[in-house]
Amino acid sequence: MSLAVDLLIAAALIGLAVQIVVGGVLFRAIVLFIVFGLTMALAWARLGAPDLAMAEAAIGAGLTGALMLVAYRRLIEINPDKPARTERRRSVLALPVAMLASALVAMIGLAAIGLEPEPGFAGRAVMDELEHTGLGNPITGVLLVFRNLDTLLEIAVLLAAFAAARAVTVPGASPLPLSHRSQSPLVGALLAIIVPMTVLVAAHLLRVGGHAPGGAFQAGAVLAASGVLLSLTGKLVPSAETGPLLRLGLLAGLVGFSLVGLIVTGFGLPLLAMPGIWAIYAIETAMMLSIAVALVLLFTGSAGLRRGAD
Amino acid sequence: MSPREWISLVLLIAGAGFYLAGTMGMLRFPDVFCRLHALTKADNLGLLLICSGLAVLAASWQTTALLGIIWLLGLIAASVSAHLIARHALREQQSARSQSDNIR
Repeated sequence: MSLAVDLLIAAALIGLAVQIVVGGVLFRAIVLFIVFGLTMALAWARLGAPDLAMAEAAIGAGLTGALMLVAYRRLIEINPDKPARTERRRSVLALPVAMLASALVAMIGLAAIGLEPEPGFAGRAVMDELEHTGLGNPITGVLLVFRNLDTLLEIAVLLAAFAAARAVTVPGASPLPLSHRSQSPLVGALLAIIVPMTVLVAAHLLRVGGHAPGGAFQAGAVLAASGVLLSLTGKLVPSAETGPLLRLGLLAGLVGFSLVGLIVTGFGLPLLAMPGIWAIYAIETAMMLSIAVALVLLFTGSAGLRRGAD
Repeated sequence: MSPREWISLVLLIAGAGFYLAGTMGMLRFPDVFCRLHALTKADNLGLLLICSGLAVLAASWQTTALLGIIWLLGLIAASVSAHLIARHALREQQSARSQSDNIR
């Protein structure tokens, strides 16, 4: 029975992927990509990786989907006459490349199924060392203790992505806010319920991240979702200047993480060693803020945000 | 199977039935309003039935409470978005009508 579910998910993933690439209609491809993200989240959950499932659903389906939809809107604003179809020039190489790629994936999969984990396996080493860190969640352990240079670089990449987006965006071209027409009173009521709830969920995800699925990336994505909601409804509007608070938020993760990592060397610890569980939580909080601010600013395509008129 | 599991099974299948009907409605109905009508039933009752089906099996009252919150949040989000989509569609219709009245 569970094999049938797995096969169904796998077939759905492949079918969706083909539809996204082959289908000619851009909007349809975006919607299917969001569905693909949600199905992928299901697949991660089935594989026993709830951390990844949450990140995939929140970032892969939710925020990336919102980014793509807002980019699509911008596209039809730039060129309303041309129907949003992608060119359908299929290369002769497409089929052979696709077949080779799937053969490669199938071979790797077959080889991986037969593998036995070795005694000195990195994953086992993490599980053995985990109790010394004071954390209960091995994912957070890897992200913040064992391989935290990678995480530091990921935060740097996010900042670089924001800088790159700033470099290519035309000033004043932000497609937001979407509607100036009278807002439905229901929207205000929705925001009054959803926004405090997302803040609560983000704080919860951050806190449980130490011993259960969750952490800075999931919490940041959830927080960013409420920012997206606020900017879609005009409560936050794009501005040309990055305010001091947003600057602080953008840099908090990278600077906080680097500072802690550097300061510990003064106490005889190796570079980027975590001096305690409090440092992990402090860094995760800073990272959550940076992730949320960077994702919302990527969505609005602006340098900053300010409060809307009402 | 224990009676508890039977109750849960019935609720889950009923919920899945609502989702199936809602999806079919969305695919088959002719316009936005009919489709929304089909979809909101799935969102409201389908989710309620699935959540209560799971709540029957839940080990603790905390899980039951969380399932209740999930249903309420889904309900709020679904009803507001359905309202917004319907309003948008109605305005599009009206502006299209007034444009054709003004002759091109």
